[in-house]
Amino acid sequence: MIKAGQIDKGTALLIKGQPFICVEREFVNPGKGSAFVRLKLKSPATGQTLRETMKSQDNAEDITVEDRDCQYLYNDGENFHFMMTETYEQIEIPMTSFEDYQFIMKEGETYRVTFWEHLPLDIQVPAKVIFEVAEAEEAVKGDTVTGATKNVTTETGLVVRVPIFIKQGERILVNTETKEYLERVNK
Amino acid sequence: MNIQAIEERSELLCRMRSWFADNDYLEVSTPILSTHLIPEPTIANFATQYISEFHGSRELYLVPSPEVHMKRIIAETKRSIYQFSHCFRNREQIGSHHNPEFTMLEYYTVGADDEDSIAITEELVARTALAGTPESILPPFRRMTVAEACKRYAQFDLDTTQSVAALRKEATRLGLSVPAQPESWEETFNRIFLNFVEPNLPQDRPLVLCEYPKQIVCLAKEIPGRPYRRRWELYAGGIELANCYDEEREKTKVEAYYREQYAILASQRSVSGEVIPDIDTRFPEIFDASFPQCSGVAMGIDRLLMLQGRHKTIGDLILFNVSDMMADG
Repeated sequence: MIKAGQIDKGTALLIKGQPFICVEREFVNPGKGSAFVRLKLKSPATGQTLRETMKSQDNAEDITVEDRDCQYLYNDGENFHFMMTETYEQIEIPMTSFEDYQFIMKEGETYRVTFWEHLPLDIQVPAKVIFEVAEAEEAVKGDTVTGATKNVTTETGLVVRVPIFIKQGERILVNTETKEYLERVNK
Repeated sequence: MNIQAIEERSELLCRMRSWFADNDYLEVSTPILSTHLIPEPTIANFATQYISEFHGSRELYLVPSPEVHMKRIIAETKRSIYQFSHCFRNREQIGSHHNPEFTMLEYYTVGADDEDSIAITEELVARTALAGTPESILPPFRRMTVAEACKRYAQFDLDTTQSVAALRKEATRLGLSVPAQPESWEETFNRIFLNFVEPNLPQDRPLVLCEYPKQIVCLAKEIPGRPYRRRWELYAGGIELANCYDEEREKTKVEAYYREQYAILASQRSVSGEVIPDIDTRFPEIFDASFPQCSGVAMGIDRLLMLQGRHKTIGDLILFNVSDMMADG
């Protein structure tokens, strides 16, 4: 058992016998009232989303999970295909549960995957990732307004809003949660 | 650091000060480090130690709101007053709408009631809004009573569900799991409100949600003969932006509030080990016959800036916020 107030992003819970992963959490104190936590939970098996608001002191059933290294191979439009690096066993994870990960994960890279018994529940992507700029619009000449931005596309297909000085072939650091540009990487 | 956010704050505060001056409000400045606090069981406090060789050390507290000091000023001056105050709420979880320290605009209008405060707040927001503020954050405000919202979004009659048992039945009907151990009417109400009502409130315009249940105890006047208080909350962009009372000014009622809420606070916190602040037991004495009719509004300025400037989180507006500082070690 876990107190609802301790549930964080990535916490695995059992709700009516089904495993769910917390994907969003926000605290609310209605009208100066006592503390509540508003959760968005996702079922990795079905992609089903559940919204629930509980008192911070309420109990919830958490489940013991285990992280394993898995190499991301490819996606077929429906599932992500991974290989567990320890056993070479291949697994599939439905893409519906992790919609935007196809634009963040790089083929051939290893990620930590959270398992509940044999069921993969969650894919952990780093909070900040370096991408290469695969496509970039040319900056308009004479456009020197401070803070001017443009869109670029990374090698994974992620579209990011960046300052106009970023060129094709350069590398950028991106916040994977907000998809926001953080800085240019000069190495 | 978000430079634009710094400029927006400076601009908004400047406009608001000018509006308050034009409307004959006095700007006041009250302590954020205080010897006494108002008893509010649901708001955890910060305490620190004052060290004095002469007077002996004592505990001081960071204020969760400037309410009690401002009411003392009203008692003396009988004037409308306002203040931008830093407020502190412990246990407040850090999130996209919360930081343990935040800026509150609190304004009290002498001679006004909660109804007048709606018009005053509409005028204030309309006259001071930053350029580019989304329509959904601007007046006119929609109005709905809490009872209407419960009927519309959770299909129950709040007038007839004033007992713990009746409300619990509604919560169960709605599919909520209410814990076996007894909980207060207010807690069950909040479960229903947060799961079914609040997420469905219209967001195309700000919404004044008025007539809060009497069983949610506060220093707003009760509506005679009905189980509600003269209190409203302003929702904008789906979040609570301001809270308004027709201020209770009957001395015996303020005394009862202090006595009862302090007893609840002390009993809860002696178990949890949280700070039990000193209470100014003489505070109710300011409510003699000369204390003027007034209505007070407390507005979250960081949230207002977030909504007006289309920022995603409050973290852009609160510089050096606790979340960022903790992340940096």
